[in-house]
Amino acid sequence: HSLKSLLLVALLVSHMLLTKEGVTSLPICPNGSVNCQLSLEELFDRAVKLSHYIHFLSSEMFNEFDERYAQGRGFIAKAVNSCHTASLTTPEDKEQAQQIHHEDLLNLILGVLRSWNDPLIHLASEVQRIKEAPETILWKAVEIEEQNKRLLEGMEKIVGRVHSGEVENDIYTPWDGLPSLQLADEDSRLFAFYNLLHCLRRDSHKIDNYLKVLKCRLIHDNNC
Amino acid sequence: MDLRHVLFTLALICANDSLSASDDILQWPQISKCRSPEMETFSCFWTAGNFYNLTVPRILQLLYKKSNEEDWKECPDYITSGQNSCYFNASYTSVWTPYCVQLASKNEVYDKKCFSVDEIVLPDPPVHLNWTLLNTSQTGIHGDIQVRWDPPPTADVRKGWITLEYELQYKEVNETKWKELKPRLSTMVPLYSLKTARDYEIRIRSRQRTSEKFGEFSEILYVSFSQIGIGCDHCMEEVEFPWFLVVVFGVCGLAVTVISIMLSKQPRLKMLIFPPVPVPKIKGIDPDLLKKGKLDEVNSILACHDSYKAQLYCDDLWVEFIELDIEDPEEKNRASDTDRLLSEDDLKSHSCLGTKDDDSGRASCCEPDIPETDFSASDTCDATSDSDQFKKATEKEEDLLCLERQDNDESLPNLANTDPQHQCRNTQSENNNVWAPFEDSIESPHLSVHTQISNQNSLTSTDFYAQVSDITPAGRVVLSPGQKSKLGRAQREGCTEQNFTMDNTYFCEADVKKCIAVTTHEENEPHVQEQGYNEDGYFTAESLTTTVANLGAPTAAVPSSEMPVADYTSIHIVQSPQGLVLNATALPVPDKEFNVSCGYVSTDQLNKIMP
Repeated sequence: HSLKSLLLVALLVSHMLLTKEGVTSLPICPNGSVNCQLSLEELFDRAVKLSHYIHFLSSEMFNEFDERYAQGRGFIAKAVNSCHTASLTTPEDKEQAQQIHHEDLLNLILGVLRSWNDPLIHLASEVQRIKEAPETILWKAVEIEEQNKRLLEGMEKIVGRVHSGEVENDIYTPWDGLPSLQLADEDSRLFAFYNLLHCLRRDSHKIDNYLKVLKCRLIHDNNC
Repeated sequence: MDLRHVLFTLALICANDSLSASDDILQWPQISKCRSPEMETFSCFWTAGNFYNLTVPRILQLLYKKSNEEDWKECPDYITSGQNSCYFNASYTSVWTPYCVQLASKNEVYDKKCFSVDEIVLPDPPVHLNWTLLNTSQTGIHGDIQVRWDPPPTADVRKGWITLEYELQYKEVNETKWKELKPRLSTMVPLYSLKTARDYEIRIRSRQRTSEKFGEFSEILYVSFSQIGIGCDHCMEEVEFPWFLVVVFGVCGLAVTVISIMLSKQPRLKMLIFPPVPVPKIKGIDPDLLKKGKLDEVNSILACHDSYKAQLYCDDLWVEFIELDIEDPEEKNRASDTDRLLSEDDLKSHSCLGTKDDDSGRASCCEPDIPETDFSASDTCDATSDSDQFKKATEKEEDLLCLERQDNDESLPNLANTDPQHQCRNTQSENNNVWAPFEDSIESPHLSVHTQISNQNSLTSTDFYAQVSDITPAGRVVLSPGQKSKLGRAQREGCTEQNFTMDNTYFCEADVKKCIAVTTHEENEPHVQEQGYNEDGYFTAESLTTTVANLGAPTAAVPSSEMPVADYTSIHIVQSPQGLVLNATALPVPDKEFNVSCGYVSTDQLNKIMP
């Protein structure tokens, strides 16, 4: 009897010691629990999943649009465009991404997401007016807009956790491209959509990358 | 220079013409591709074209420009990536910035490309492929292995700058077609059920996770089980499962079984395997009964089924019935006529549910509840209920029933005074008083009678009929208790004394408490109409569900006090689809010898009656 209890205790202790690494990972919150708080790792996991999904959808949407509407119109040559978020100075290579402080990077991410809130809403509604727009494009536009909102919420949570000082909320660029999406001339209107989708793909890729860099840096200590 | 240029162009054209038909097609210098292996640097490659050697050696330049710049700059590094290439190292690379590159020589631009670095990512192949044995099957013919590799060294996966997906392909050494696995993020994958007697080749390639294009394949990894001593040279070649034979024999066996079952005389087995398909059957109607049943029973079945509206009505009032049940349990317990009748005759046994003939139509109608449901209908009447009064009324009325005739009851003089128009089979004379025409009964006491009756009705235990006394402008039907209730009750009671197998409630009132609308004030002689029995059954339900067109001015709540109320009315006009104009016409008085069975009229009798 005593041997059994000793064995049990030994097992428990060894389990605890062996899984010491797992202590830091908190359990996932069950539904409905009020006091449960997601760990930062969980929050980042979800954020990365969302950003990847958004980039995936944007990529597909751009490809479909390109196939369907852009061929033969010479859009590609003109696509050296500037997106409305170009005024935000974001890291352009790995070095800059490594050097920027994580709080600044988080703020930048938030700024880009906020700047896309408006355009996505209008994209979802205006894309329906395109003649014979495929269902897949319509659905993706709506989905991206929804997921972007969720990602914004998640990022605000993360920022709340990570920020030590005050939260800068003024990083934001307004979008004034709505009239171009409503032009009467079909070619010009489609070109405006093409640009917007191109910019969306690019910015979603940026966000996805920054979040992965942050996750590896903050959670896994640069050892993903 | 110009001459040279012209000569060159001419030479080009001639060369083009002469060589166009041949295999050597003149090619312009072209940028073949631009590629970034790790999203930190990128290189562009071009082909020089054919005419490089022809006339004057051309020096091709690659010029590039970032989107926000004005000038074209020259390639910083022509060497690192090999010949005909331009290498942009990390300092020249901005990932999400649009670039344009053009291949030119002095004055001429041969090709131009615009892109951004994140779009041209093609990772290097994975490195350090190796495999380990997981386990082998019992026979030793098959084995599972685990393949592992490392990400390409150039890609900075550890810091999360780039995320890679890997696709593994494998095949037997002497096969030509590669088998592919799904792209995955992990750097190890198991391969199951490899034949230990064969050797395999494995190769892997990677791509950036959201891209479509894969990079180059890695070096091929050779898997040979014999090297680790597991190879099974003397193993038999595995026999492929003889699917074809299995299928053929299975189908034959199944066919034989089915045929034997069908042909077998065993009914049970047949029923088990091939259950009989139910023939169409109308609920409640027994075809046998129709073939050989008694007239009365047949009539009851038909009537019950024809009055489907009554059934609907039943269903509607079922709820009300329940409510009333809860609300007034005590009053129900009062010895009302209905209760007495019900309890005495064990009406339940006579009801649909209690009929011996289970297949009769009555089973589907909520017979025993109908009397009660009538009361709920009465709730819609304007009757003001007074429970005490009601009590008295019921008690008094009980006396008036066939069982105990008390003709002297003032409250219900009509019952006592009226002459019977119909006779129950039961020869009790008091029953003859039941179906007196209404006009005789309509006098001053009617007011009280009405209220009493209405009280009765509101207390939901006795009356069977209700009259449509008024129709509000909104279209609602105002019901008031009918004189017929007493008739109905008496009739019913008298009828219940007979040995009816059918439910009395059907014929007696079709369970609708109906205040017969005094729709036509022209007729002041409502006569009991012979076919009222049957019609009643159909009528009452319909009248309840249709708005009765009131030809005259809507009568007061107590119409009978002003004019004679017909017992039955015939349909004068059918204002489809929502209206029935009831006409209390005098229909021919039935013959005295006409014995109406307490309940339904036979078709012969009906034919006699109808003009």
